[in-house]
Amino acid sequence: MIITVIRSGGFAGLSRQWSIRVEEQADEEQWRELIDRLPWEQDLATQDEPDRYIYRVRCAPREAVIPERKLTGPWRELIHRVQEAEEKHPGT
Amino acid sequence: MRCSIVPPYLLLRIAESQEPRLAGAAAAARRALLHDIPLRNLRGVAAERPEAPGPPGLHRTISTADHTETLPGRVVRAEGDGATGDNATDEAYDGLGHTYSFFSAAYSRASIDNASLPLDGTVHYGDAYDNAFWDGARMVFGDGDGEVFNRFTLSLSVIGHELVHGMTQYTTNLVYQGQSGALNESISDVFGALVEQYAAGHTTATASWLIGEGLFTDLVQGSAIRSLKAPGTAYDDDVLGKDPQPDHMDAFITTTDDNGGVHLNSGIPNRAFYLTASALGGFAWERAGQIWYDAITAGTLPAASDFTLFAAATADAASARFGHGSEEHRAVSRAWQSVGVDP
Repeated sequence: MIITVIRSGGFAGLSRQWSIRVEEQADEEQWRELIDRLPWEQDLATQDEPDRYIYRVRCAPREAVIPERKLTGPWRELIHRVQEAEEKHPGT
Repeated sequence: MRCSIVPPYLLLRIAESQEPRLAGAAAAARRALLHDIPLRNLRGVAAERPEAPGPPGLHRTISTADHTETLPGRVVRAEGDGATGDNATDEAYDGLGHTYSFFSAAYSRASIDNASLPLDGTVHYGDAYDNAFWDGARMVFGDGDGEVFNRFTLSLSVIGHELVHGMTQYTTNLVYQGQSGALNESISDVFGALVEQYAAGHTTATASWLIGEGLFTDLVQGSAIRSLKAPGTAYDDDVLGKDPQPDHMDAFITTTDDNGGVHLNSGIPNRAFYLTASALGGFAWERAGQIWYDAITAGTLPAASDFTLFAAATADAASARFGHGSEEHRAVSRAWQSVGVDP
């Protein structure tokens, strides 16, 4: 199972992507528990705050788009964990 | 419209001077900033000390988020306070002043709402935060990570860009999605560039036409974030890749990311503005900028405008101000046609 986070927008309009394979993580069960806790069906709508980031999270077959301002709770936790995990082990 | 040849940054510096021997010049500089008085009037003016240290109508407040994501944060510099010694705070304060002065002198506009709205900014937002944004009420600036990005207050065009998002909110309120979102972005780039050109006294020919010059660290192969003159050429870096902005409708990018590519397709109207300014020459804010300003303040542009509607609005504005078939009207029409938009 692969989790991909794509961050677009921002003043510079530079897209960045982080990706991890859950099976390769030391705390695989915690990852699965976190993924199941995510409110995938929640409608977070498009943001209209100029130059803020937009996050797209993919974990096939699920996908969600989260405006930066609404990046709270489990979404925030997941994105930070994916960024940290990839930066420790780049190239997944 | 007249514009002083004195660089506005110099006027601001004189206006803010607390030196008793410069009291007269300081008062005159403040009036020059507000009323576009030629430099010669700065000399020989009777000494006078105003009640407030800053020009009337300009009310800046800079706060610090102290590296958290809590807004507005703690106030560190209010209108009339002296420099703090903190670069981000002082650059934000000065940048707000430059932006205010530009709109006041060039278009007689009192702040972003034309009703003297106080200008607020927050610096030191987040932890090594690589961004700046307008949250609907204030500009917010990150410090950058120091590897790719320097602090976002370093560039006056970025400060102008963010404040102009505020102006758009009070004028066209262009929907931040797809083509209307790209126009929203382009208007911020156009007037952000003009704020910088006005402050530096640059003409169409001498201006860099770059947005965010100096924002990238020396480790990045690139001069800026965007170029209005040549969209798609601002950077070409091994890690970041190449500036993806199109400069023609033929290369329009369809994407669901970035609110439908608002920071990408803005290259097309950006280039149309540059071509208009370049055809007319001189100071870009005087004719090209005036036409764009008229178009967005006419009150007739729908919030969901696409490029074609906006192009027609600028052509109409040029025709209304300078005459149908005038040099200005023809320059606007040709510029849009050159980027594949038929006004």
